[in-house]
Amino acid sequence: MSDHAIKNPHIEAHAVAHEEHPGPGVYLLVAAILTVLTAAEITVFYVPGLQPVLVPILLVLAAVKFAFVAGFYMHLYYDSKVFTIFFGFPLLLALLIVLGLLLLFAHLQGVLSFTIP
Amino acid sequence: MAAQPKTLEYEYPNYLQDPRGIWSWLTTIDHKRIAILYGVSALFFMMVGGLEAMLIRAQLMVPNNHLIGAAIYNELFTMHGTTMIFLVVMPLELGFFANFMIPLHIGARDVAFPRLNALSYWVFIAGAIFLHLGLVRSLAGMPDAGWFGYANLTERMYSPGINIDTWVLGLLILGVSTLLSGLNFFVTIVNMRAPGMTFMRMPMFMWAMLVTTILILLAFPALTVGLVFLFADRFLDTHFYRVSAGATPILWQHLFWIFGHPEVYIMALPAFGIISEVITPFSRKPLFGYPMMAYSLVLIAFLSYGVWGHHMFATGMGPIADSTFAITTMLIAIPTGIKIFSWIATVWGGRLRFTTAMLFTLGFIVEFTAGGLSGVMHASPPVDLQQTDSYIVVAHFHYVLFGGMMMGILAGFYYWWPKITGRMLNETIGKWQFWITLWAFNGTFFPMHFLGVLGMPRRIYTYAPNMGWDFWNYFESINAFILGFAFLLFFINLVWSTLHGEHSSADPWDGRTLEWSIPSPPPAFNFVTIPMVTARDAFWVRKYGSVGAHGVAPAISGGAAAAPVGAPAEVHEHIHMPAPSIYPLIFGLGLFMAALGCMIWIRLILIGGALILMSILGMVFEYPTFGQFNPEALAESTLGLDNRKLGMWAFLGSECVFFASLISTYMVYKDRNLGGFDAMILNIPLTSFSTFILLTSSLLMVLALAAVQRDDRKWGAIWLFGTAFFGMIFLGGQAYEFTDFVLQGLKIQTNLFGQTFYTLVGFHGIHVLIGVCWLLVLAFTTAAGKIGKDRSLAVEIGGLYWHFVDIVWVVIFTLIYLMRTVKHA
Ligand code: HEM
Ligand SMILES: [Cu+2]
Repeated sequence: MSDHAIKNPHIEAHAVAHEEHPGPGVYLLVAAILTVLTAAEITVFYVPGLQPVLVPILLVLAAVKFAFVAGFYMHLYYDSKVFTIFFGFPLLLALLIVLGLLLLFAHLQGVLSFTIP
Repeated sequence: MAAQPKTLEYEYPNYLQDPRGIWSWLTTIDHKRIAILYGVSALFFMMVGGLEAMLIRAQLMVPNNHLIGAAIYNELFTMHGTTMIFLVVMPLELGFFANFMIPLHIGARDVAFPRLNALSYWVFIAGAIFLHLGLVRSLAGMPDAGWFGYANLTERMYSPGINIDTWVLGLLILGVSTLLSGLNFFVTIVNMRAPGMTFMRMPMFMWAMLVTTILILLAFPALTVGLVFLFADRFLDTHFYRVSAGATPILWQHLFWIFGHPEVYIMALPAFGIISEVITPFSRKPLFGYPMMAYSLVLIAFLSYGVWGHHMFATGMGPIADSTFAITTMLIAIPTGIKIFSWIATVWGGRLRFTTAMLFTLGFIVEFTAGGLSGVMHASPPVDLQQTDSYIVVAHFHYVLFGGMMMGILAGFYYWWPKITGRMLNETIGKWQFWITLWAFNGTFFPMHFLGVLGMPRRIYTYAPNMGWDFWNYFESINAFILGFAFLLFFINLVWSTLHGEHSSADPWDGRTLEWSIPSPPPAFNFVTIPMVTARDAFWVRKYGSVGAHGVAPAISGGAAAAPVGAPAEVHEHIHMPAPSIYPLIFGLGLFMAALGCMIWIRLILIGGALILMSILGMVFEYPTFGQFNPEALAESTLGLDNRKLGMWAFLGSECVFFASLISTYMVYKDRNLGGFDAMILNIPLTSFSTFILLTSSLLMVLALAAVQRDDRKWGAIWLFGTAFFGMIFLGGQAYEFTDFVLQGLKIQTNLFGQTFYTLVGFHGIHVLIGVCWLLVLAFTTAAGKIGKDRSLAVEIGGLYWHFVDIVWVVIFTLIYLMRTVKHA
């Protein structure tokens, strides 16, 4: 499909600037961070004193790991923002679905109940 | 219609003429031919679904009727609903109209992934046949639990036959087909628009399809998960929907309607799009309020994810949930109202031409509005409690589905048939069809509102004579037969006109969009030169200049003087269309056999699996250009991004909803477990080790990519083998974990914990397994020296998948393992 003469200059510039992926150095650094975070997660799990705050700590740690893999290994940080949107919106929706179902079932089980005044 | 000069029409063979023969149709990957395949299949099922409706009405015509027994009646309404939705409306809108028109509307030569398009079709056919397998045994073998198949009626103990087996597997197969089409069209619309075709210049049908594909990608996974659970309950004796084990059938309702309401819009939005296209040329005005029309589509789609509960008011979700769902549902009326008023404003003051297509469009606006209004009634929980499961609901959704979607589809047929076949449909028959349909449709369905209020429940096969329901039922049935007659006219028109109808010019309606700028029927490659788009209503502006873009256009008929932009014949040689392929068909066959294997002979699964594998590998290596970086295509793409990569990301987005459904099920069932094994059995040291393994594999994966990108094939191969190796260690750990649990006595059937754990973690494991196979293929190909810098994309895309599997594990490790003591509900 090489036969149309009119090309959009903006798009061409875009295509050339595309694909600046990080090198092995960044990858190794991210791997180190991920290892530390995972070690932290496991530690938190085993420390009795941290049990009351287990959930928030673990959720934050997981979210950070998630962001590092998605941002650097999957290059969302470097690539076109389009990919981030393609992935971010469904992710948000997925979170809302999980949250919605948890609330609905909490009510179903009588854990969460409301009375009309 | 003024006689028009035939400029381009006979310079190239059209897509129907070349190549010829059955084989060319079995292997075709031309979006226009695939559309024809979909169209013919869906029209066939339209007859089937219509006949089922006639039988239903014949049975209900008089009280105490025994024409059809109760059992067959159940099968009839179930198959009527399932057929109309999955085998008629969706394939016509997506497979037929969208498939044919998307590339023409945006100025492209085909969709983003032509072979995937063919694959969707063959998988669709596999699913459609599968749904009807019950017929092979006996008449009593068809699905019979209603189109939304509520649990726990669908459980083996209540439905012991094959009825529900074919339904579960058939819908799973159809889901694959729809998801892949959605992915394909989404990438096409986002990334393959002609130069200058910005989002705000796209025809409204393209907006509708863009939003529809997003809905498909993010709604079908929930259905898939619900069906997988049902499959497990029926075939593996789990208890996802069994109260005796602490589970609840309500889970099915949630998963089904999280899919089901967006599904309503998956059917509605394409019809909105079609009539937005038809209404403009016949009003000789541009679409009123274009930006608002587009934004309201987006808003409808977004809201449609937050309304699923309105199907479940009767289950007792509590006042907070009820009010929330009621409000979100009523909110949808706002963007929908915007659309209706914009259509009316488009017609207002226009120079109207009452062609059949226009008549159906106007019919759509009136009848769909009527259906929408009764919809707003159901949105109020106390009102709905009176109406639900009565005939008023049947009236409501037929006003929407028939008065809306079906009329939109018929408008599309009369409007686009000349472009698709090169022949006009007969307008006289068409108008008869319209007026008879309009009368008989209202005659069939309007009295259902009364019957509903009089208390007639839906899904009853007969009724006693003294209920006050006799007259309207009789009246409805007579009208239903008249409606059937109107469809007979339609089919006669299709056949007769295709053989003997008036030849159509390129631009018979004085159209506004690009498809009218090329011959009817179009050549295989659609456009000789890819058009340059300078405005909305691109073709109109080309014909009449920008003056025509605003206000009522001059009353010149036939704009073909400025029509097809000719080009030197030698251009033809430079247009490379992808070669045909038989693998999509083999894939469909394989899926069919694998599903059949679940039902009759387990080894058939292996044969089916082998066929699937073979077709995937076949498709990967069929072209010498696999995985190749294609700077030309990239420069021509709308976003300057690679289609394959966009497709992968869109797929991963869809996977998010898939895993979200699995994870929520785990969490809500965890606390309903009736004792026995629970999350305390989980082996944290082992899985911590596995977590490190998977993280390491991700590191090796990016190193492989970096190596391949600097054209270092040796290290590329080494790292890839390493990634696969670590993936295998992970799988080994999982196999150990599962075996250990089973030996301790925790099976998938044991309790709610067992089944949700094994499905969630097992599905992740299957993803890892697929990833390992993929990595091995990449590794061997790289080791053979075939993958270097120019093909680094192949590694990059495999890597995206692999890292996604890794982040899903990050989530699972936290929520399931480390948070094992946490109560969720
Ligand atoms: C000739 C036209 C049609 C007639 C006479 C007709 C008639 C009926 C009747 C009487 C029922 C209720 C059966 C019962 O509850 O016992 C029904 C159910 C249904 N119809 Fe139609 N219908 C027609 C066209 C359509 C179309 C075009 C669609 C969709 C696009 C559709 C979708 C459905 C669905 C989803 C159900 C619900 C099935 C269930 O309860 O599981 N129908 N139809
Ligand atoms: Cu709904």
